[in-house]
Amino acid sequence: MEEYYGRQLVQPKIKNVPAYVSVAATFNNHICQRCGQTDIEKLPNYHFYCRACLALGRVSSRDVLLSLPEPNLFDGHDILSWSGKLTAKQQEVSNELIATLKEKNEHLVWAVTGAGKTEMLFPVIHKALTQRYRVGIVSPRVDVIIELAPRLQAAFSKTDMVVLHGEQTQDYRYTPLVLATTHQMLRFKSAFDLLIVDEVDSFPYAGDKMLSYAVQQAKKATGTLIFLTATPTKQLQKRVRRGSLKTSYLPLRYHQHLLPVIKTTLVGNWRRKIPKQLVKQLTHFQRTEQRFLIFVPKVADLKKVYDQINKHVPHLKGDYVHAADSRRQEKVQAMRDYQLQYLVTTTILERGVTFPGIDVLILGADDTTFSENALVQIAGRVGRKNDRPTGLVRAYVQHISLNVVAAQRQIKQMNHRGKKLGGRK
Amino acid sequence: MICQLCQTFIKQTPSLLQTFGMIRWQPNKLCQACQSEFVSISCACSGCGRQQNNESLCFDCQRWEKQGKILLQHTSLYQYNDAMRDFMQRYKFNGDYSLRQIFNHELIQYVNNMAIDLVVVIPISEYTMMTRGFNQTVGLFEGVTLSDLLKVKAKNKSHQSQFNRKGRMMRTQPFTVSKSLPLHNKRVLLVDDVYTTGNTLYHAADLLYDLGAKNVKSLSLAR
Repeated sequence: MEEYYGRQLVQPKIKNVPAYVSVAATFNNHICQRCGQTDIEKLPNYHFYCRACLALGRVSSRDVLLSLPEPNLFDGHDILSWSGKLTAKQQEVSNELIATLKEKNEHLVWAVTGAGKTEMLFPVIHKALTQRYRVGIVSPRVDVIIELAPRLQAAFSKTDMVVLHGEQTQDYRYTPLVLATTHQMLRFKSAFDLLIVDEVDSFPYAGDKMLSYAVQQAKKATGTLIFLTATPTKQLQKRVRRGSLKTSYLPLRYHQHLLPVIKTTLVGNWRRKIPKQLVKQLTHFQRTEQRFLIFVPKVADLKKVYDQINKHVPHLKGDYVHAADSRRQEKVQAMRDYQLQYLVTTTILERGVTFPGIDVLILGADDTTFSENALVQIAGRVGRKNDRPTGLVRAYVQHISLNVVAAQRQIKQMNHRGKKLGGRK
Repeated sequence: MICQLCQTFIKQTPSLLQTFGMIRWQPNKLCQACQSEFVSISCACSGCGRQQNNESLCFDCQRWEKQGKILLQHTSLYQYNDAMRDFMQRYKFNGDYSLRQIFNHELIQYVNNMAIDLVVVIPISEYTMMTRGFNQTVGLFEGVTLSDLLKVKAKNKSHQSQFNRKGRMMRTQPFTVSKSLPLHNKRVLLVDDVYTTGNTLYHAADLLYDLGAKNVKSLSLAR
């Protein structure tokens, strides 16, 4: 019975339904009742199914949706085992979040990359858990979830937690704390009193109606919704300006240093020949043993760039990684463990990952795959730790594109506001 | 067009004659990368259509012959490799019925070129029909006139894909004839989605020979 609390599961009509769950039709007016979309595909005999949410198991007109209201059967004994301390500004944001939890409202935390967003959440999550609330923390990115899981488990060591994503091996359990990708929210219904969406502006959540529908219906009607991002989408910014979304603004990193600004270097056709400026920079890195990331626009560029680097600057130990790489987690972990000096990567490592003390090079930053927000996020990988709060972000471009300029301007604006709060270089 | 399997955009434009309908335009359903994952069968065993170096009978077919069966002279279009397993997983078990279009055209062409009188489809059980919602073979061969001569016996509920070879070979006749149709001197083609041990098809063929069919051949998408 427990596994049905707050869940929304699909089952064929002819299977037996437990007496205590409520049963709902899968389609209403050809709108899928799980994902709210009308992406209908035909089956024989006048039946049909939904293609939009097919990846989470098919919803067809031969099925029913089972759900059971969330009863909040938790003991509420939560201990915040996190011993760190928030800065004054972080504390302020944290207090605002606790106030929102009381109001049961929506809230946006607009904080620069490396502002310590996760830590600011701990008090409000703790508060919610002690009130026997069910708390969900979701993100469109699996990497973000995987990195967040151990940190949260450490901070709430007494609370049972379950991690849900596409490649997970762990089975679903009924727990007060749920960490999941946004897609998994399709399997919940009115379950969460507090739902936190990390990196709201990232693919695939941004611009996906299905996922925002999923998040909205996974929280209770009286639930609190918190969005976190460093670079809100235009739609969110519009809601902020209109005043329909409560916002906490934090333009300064937790170590009080300003963001590194993107520097540009004009190069020739780098796909044809590796630029000599890049070789020079790499030999410098080799001498100083500085760790770094190189971002390239396309998956097809990865191997070529990696081979070129090996040819021109031997003895540098590195690797390349992309989204469909079967050894992806392994390589990223090797970089974290200081076994590699560099990684060549696509935009998959643009957010949610921390490698202490790295520099970043962006090859072909003028390519359309690097949006303004992506560039800001990439620049935000640098200088995230106290012992090396600054670093180098260099974009190699064939011509300076609008996105690069916009990203530089956005970082400068943040720094301008940060300076007023006492930020230093 | 968008690749039906990996959702990447495929750029393709009809030629002038195709634009004005002089030649029928058949846009590709798959991108180059996905298409190349499926390996067609070039040289096969003449009994079961298994990919091998010569056309002599394979060990399994010799065993069928020893049991006194008339060989099906089975043909398959593609090898059952990782890509095909993945396709079957998505099409059959995740129930994405729209994927039937990918190989549909090829299969129809193949059936139309064969000298046969009747195409009989391997049925699925009532229970599978209620849960999956479609017969996967009927989907693949949509557009061919299929006969639902066979049906699954009521007590048979299990999927063959959950058994190993030994388990499959133990199975007794799973089908019955749903309507009596005179098959005297008719050449019958049995169609299925995947040929694994041949057990299913040979059971179906037995029934068709009992009804008086002249010969029974078979065709499947994968082997």
